[in-house]
Amino acid sequence: MTLWEATDHAMRLLLGGDESLWRIIGISFKVSGIAILMATPPAVLTAFALAWLRFPGRRLLISLFSTLLSVPAVVVGLTLYLLLSNQGPLGDWRLLFTQSAMVAGQVVLAFPILVAMGHAALQSVDQRAWETARTLGASFFKAFLLVLRESRFGLLAALLAAYGRIIAEVGASMMLGGNILDYTRNIPTAIALETSKGEFAQGIALGVVLLLLASTLNGLLHYVQGKGGVSTP
Amino acid sequence: MNEKFALEVEGLRYGPGDRNLFDSMNLRLESGRCVLLTGENGAGKTTLLRILAGLQKPREGRFRLEGGDFAAWKKMRRILQKRVLYLHQQPYMFDGTVEYNLRFALSRSTGRGAKEELVERALEWVGMSGFRRKYARSLSGGERQRVALARAWLASPTVMLLDEPTANLDAESRERTLRLLRQLRLQGMTLVLASHDPHHFTDLPDRILRLHQGRIFHAAPPPTQKEGSAAVIPLRQELA
Repeated sequence: MTLWEATDHAMRLLLGGDESLWRIIGISFKVSGIAILMATPPAVLTAFALAWLRFPGRRLLISLFSTLLSVPAVVVGLTLYLLLSNQGPLGDWRLLFTQSAMVAGQVVLAFPILVAMGHAALQSVDQRAWETARTLGASFFKAFLLVLRESRFGLLAALLAAYGRIIAEVGASMMLGGNILDYTRNIPTAIALETSKGEFAQGIALGVVLLLLASTLNGLLHYVQGKGGVSTP
Repeated sequence: MNEKFALEVEGLRYGPGDRNLFDSMNLRLESGRCVLLTGENGAGKTTLLRILAGLQKPREGRFRLEGGDFAAWKKMRRILQKRVLYLHQQPYMFDGTVEYNLRFALSRSTGRGAKEELVERALEWVGMSGFRRKYARSLSGGERQRVALARAWLASPTVMLLDEPTANLDAESRERTLRLLRQLRLQGMTLVLASHDPHHFTDLPDRILRLHQGRIFHAAPPPTQKEGSAAVIPLRQELA
């Protein structure tokens, strides 16, 4: 099959609503959506603590999260695999080769991105924002929400960047999910499998979805960062 | 607690490291009165206001406010932040409209209709009725100062501390701000104005205090209101 024929076939699969293809896309969005929803609240709290509170070991934690940004997905996959495998300490949970294991892997991958970028966004908020809120009688929680609101464009940028990273990663998903059809096969693992079989059509179709997603997220990121730039005093 | 005083501080100590910027300082703010706090740049006016507002931790000090007598900073800080309002030299505008900024100062328990009315009244008071939907950060320095005063008024604190409230304002904005401060004083608000140049505030304060080398002194009112003249205030008597 030539490249042109494969691309033509891929477009027909995509636009024709091929069931197995769209199921793979659905699994990808579901797993990564759950992962980002689970990772965001603790990551934002951590980023807030690092940016606004003073405690021993804070600088060490900041540099740790910066380091974790560059940890390869496959290393995260391997570590969790060892923990979740039958011989591992969490083997009794029977999570290996499930969507939950994939979610766990993606949470671990998304967390440092959310913390590092969230920390940068929260740290850029003027100290007077917090003080003004508190001196106007706002509770700690109300002042916290205000600071989140003041840095919302930066936080949203962190969210989009983290989502873009986890939905496209293949290493951890392959190791932890096992690439089981209709259950743990997501876009990147499906592309890897189809390509290895020489079935390029589905790989190209899924690649197109990832490219569309990447450009949409990138566009949103630029829009959000532009908005943030305008709102800076 | 003596009702005569809105806020009392005893034995206030503050200083970075081993140094003492304030050493056993005592201060009493009479209810409904206006105090002008003067002193050279770096005398510690801003630091003192920030401590009184619960935004900066002193090394030591006993505070009395609204019937409470506190030596424990954690407890006192919460009450100071609720009841004593500090206005930065350059007021911070939250990222939103003027209305958003004003509504923030109102408690959640205030009803919807009441909120609407209070915001309208606050805007009318500062002469900015048409500014409700304007983006707060697009306002000029003078307008920001007035929005900050309206926001402070809505928070209805016991004491208002204003750090250089007329600094960097043109003559017209300065006069407007002073007019609002006079009205606040007439309403019975306890005010502390910190300024290195007291000549702009001749008719406003009931008492002028001077911060000098970590101590507070009574000072005579400035003799004349001369634009740009040096603010030399003789030290009269150190506060007990």
